Amino acid sequence: MVTEEEIEHVSKLMRIDVDDHKKYVEKVNMMISYFDILDSAGVDSEEITMPETSISNLRKDEYIAYDDKLIEKLNHYKGTYVRAPKMSS
Amino acid sequence: MNLKISALDYIQEVKIGNISAEDFVAKTIERIQSVDDKLHAFLSINDKAVDQAREIDKRIKSGKKIGNCFGMPISIKDNICIKDSKTTCASKMLENFIAPYDATVITKLKQQDAIFVGKVNMDEFAMGLSTEFSAYGPSKNPWNIEYVPGGSSGGSAVSVSAFECIASLGSDTGGSVRNPASFCSTVGYKPTYGLISRYGLISYANSIEQIGPLTRTVKDSAFMLNLISGIDSNDNTTVDNKNEDYLSGIESGIEGKKIGIIKEMIGDGIDPAVLSATKDAIAKLEGLGAICEEISIDMVKYSVAAYYTITATEAGSNLARYDNIRYGYDFPLEGYEFNSYISKARRNFGPEVTRRMIIGGFVPSAGHAGKYFLKALKVKSKLTKEINEAFKKFDFLISPTVPILPFKIGEKIDDPISLFLVDINTVTANLTGKPAISIPFSNSNGLPIGIQLMADSMNDKSLLQAAYALEQTVNLPEVPI
Repeated sequence: MVTEEEIEHVSKLMRIDVDDHKKYVEKVNMMISYFDILDSAGVDSEEITMPETSISNLRKDEYIAYDDKLIEKLNHYKGTYVRAPKMSS
Repeated sequence: MNLKISALDYIQEVKIGNISAEDFVAKTIERIQSVDDKLHAFLSINDKAVDQAREIDKRIKSGKKIGNCFGMPISIKDNICIKDSKTTCASKMLENFIAPYDATVITKLKQQDAIFVGKVNMDEFAMGLSTEFSAYGPSKNPWNIEYVPGGSSGGSAVSVSAFECIASLGSDTGGSVRNPASFCSTVGYKPTYGLISRYGLISYANSIEQIGPLTRTVKDSAFMLNLISGIDSNDNTTVDNKNEDYLSGIESGIEGKKIGIIKEMIGDGIDPAVLSATKDAIAKLEGLGAICEEISIDMVKYSVAAYYTITATEAGSNLARYDNIRYGYDFPLEGYEFNSYISKARRNFGPEVTRRMIIGGFVPSAGHAGKYFLKALKVKSKLTKEINEAFKKFDFLISPTVPILPFKIGEKIDDPISLFLVDINTVTANLTGKPAISIPFSNSNGLPIGIQLMADSMNDKSLLQAAYALEQTVNLPEVPI
C-alpha cells in the first residue's frame, strides 16, 4: 500500500507536477499492489546477473565530426543572429 | 495493381518489369488516403515518397545498381528516427521534434532503396499494448474497427494488415511487435537481444527492447532481418551475426525438432478459442514431424510483475531528459524556466507515461528497492536460468502470443491489472533476451489469433524455419477492409 504522501514525494523526485495527485494514487496503487506477487517467487537467495562489457569492447572515446549544420536547425533567428532565452529574471 | 503482395513478390515483380516502384508507391499512398481516416495507423505521411520511387525507377531503367528493396513501401514506428522527419513517440512532448539523424536501421534500409511512406502510431513512448495510450488517438483494428489493434506497435501492424505498406518496423519491449502482429494477423518478429541496432530508437527500457519487423509472411521477416541486423559501433549491445542469411534454408522443415509447450502460458484466464487454436497448432507441428511435450517454467507467473518493475525504472531514468532544457517540448523563448525545479514541459506526458514514471521512481527507491526492483532482477535471473535449462531439452517453445482475443477499444483502459495480464506470454522473451515470433494462425469470429514460437539466443535462423513450417499449414481469411 502506497500513501498519497509517498506518491507526492516520488512525483517530486521524478520532476512530475500533476494537479490531481489523488487521481494518480489509485491506479499507481493498484499497479504497485500487483507487484506484491514478487514476494511469493522465492528468489531471495538468487544472484542478480548483469551483462558486462569490457572496456576494450567499447568504442574509442574520440570525437566524431557531425557533418550536418545543427545550428541551422535552431528555431529563433533574428537576421544572422540566433535568439536564446534570457538566463536570469 | 495488387497491393496485397509480399515483399519478396514485390521485388520479383519490379525486377522483371511487371510493376514500377512509382505506380506501386502511388497506389499505396492512395490506399492510405482512402482507409486511414477509419484506421488511424499513420501519424505522418512522407509526401516525397512517390518522387523517391520515381528516382528508383529511373535508376532501374538506366541499369544502375539498385538496393534489395527496389522501392518497397515501408512504414516506421514513430519512435525510430528518420533524419529531417517528425519523430513524436505519439507524445505531445515531442510533437515538434524533427530528428537530426537517421537510426541505424533507417540508414541500412535507405541503402537498400526502401521507401518510407510514413511514421505510424503507437502507445505514447511505447508504454501500452493497445495503442489507446497514443496522445493522438487510438489506431483501429482492420479486422473490426471497434477493437484495439494491439500495441505498442499498433500502427505498424494495422498498416501492414490493411495493405497501407508492405512491411513495417516496430519495437518490442515486452511484446510490442508480437502482440499487435497477433491481433492484426501479421507476422511479428522480436530478434535475439543485440541482433538489431537500437541506435536512433528512442529509449524506453534499453536492457530488454529490440527493433523488429512486422510483415505479411515469415519469409518477408527473414528478408527484413537480413537487411537490418548486425553489429553497429553506435550500439555497444549489438552482437556480430557474421552476416547470417536468414532466408537461405528457411524451407528446411522441423522434422525431429523438439518443442516445449509452456504450461503457464495456456493456463488460467486463457480464452477457449485461443486454447483450441494453440492445440491445433501443436497438432499441425506434430504432423510435420516435430515432437511436442509440456514443460513448466515456474517464473512465468512472476514475469509480468518483474517486467513492469524493471521497465518503469528504466523509463523513469530515460524520460528524465525531457525537461525543456535539453530535450522535449519547446516553449517560446519567453517561457523558458531555467530556475524551476520541475518544468511545466513535463505536463506534456500523458497519464500512462506519468503513472509509469511515478512507479519508476518508487520501485527502485531507498527503502523499497529490496521489495520491488532487486526482487524483479532476481526473478529475471531465475527466469533466464529456467529458460536456458528448457532449451537444453527443446529446440523451440510454443504458446499463444496473447492468451486472449483482441478486445474492444476502451474495454480495459481503466483496469491496469487486466492489461498487465495480456503481456504474460510475451515478456519472457524480452526478460531473457531470446528471439520470438508471432505467426498468424487462426481466426475466431473475425478476430485473429497468433501463435508464438521462441528459440534460444542467436538461433534466429532456425526459429524462422520453424515459423515458416507452421505458416505453411495455415489458410486464413482476407482482412475485411
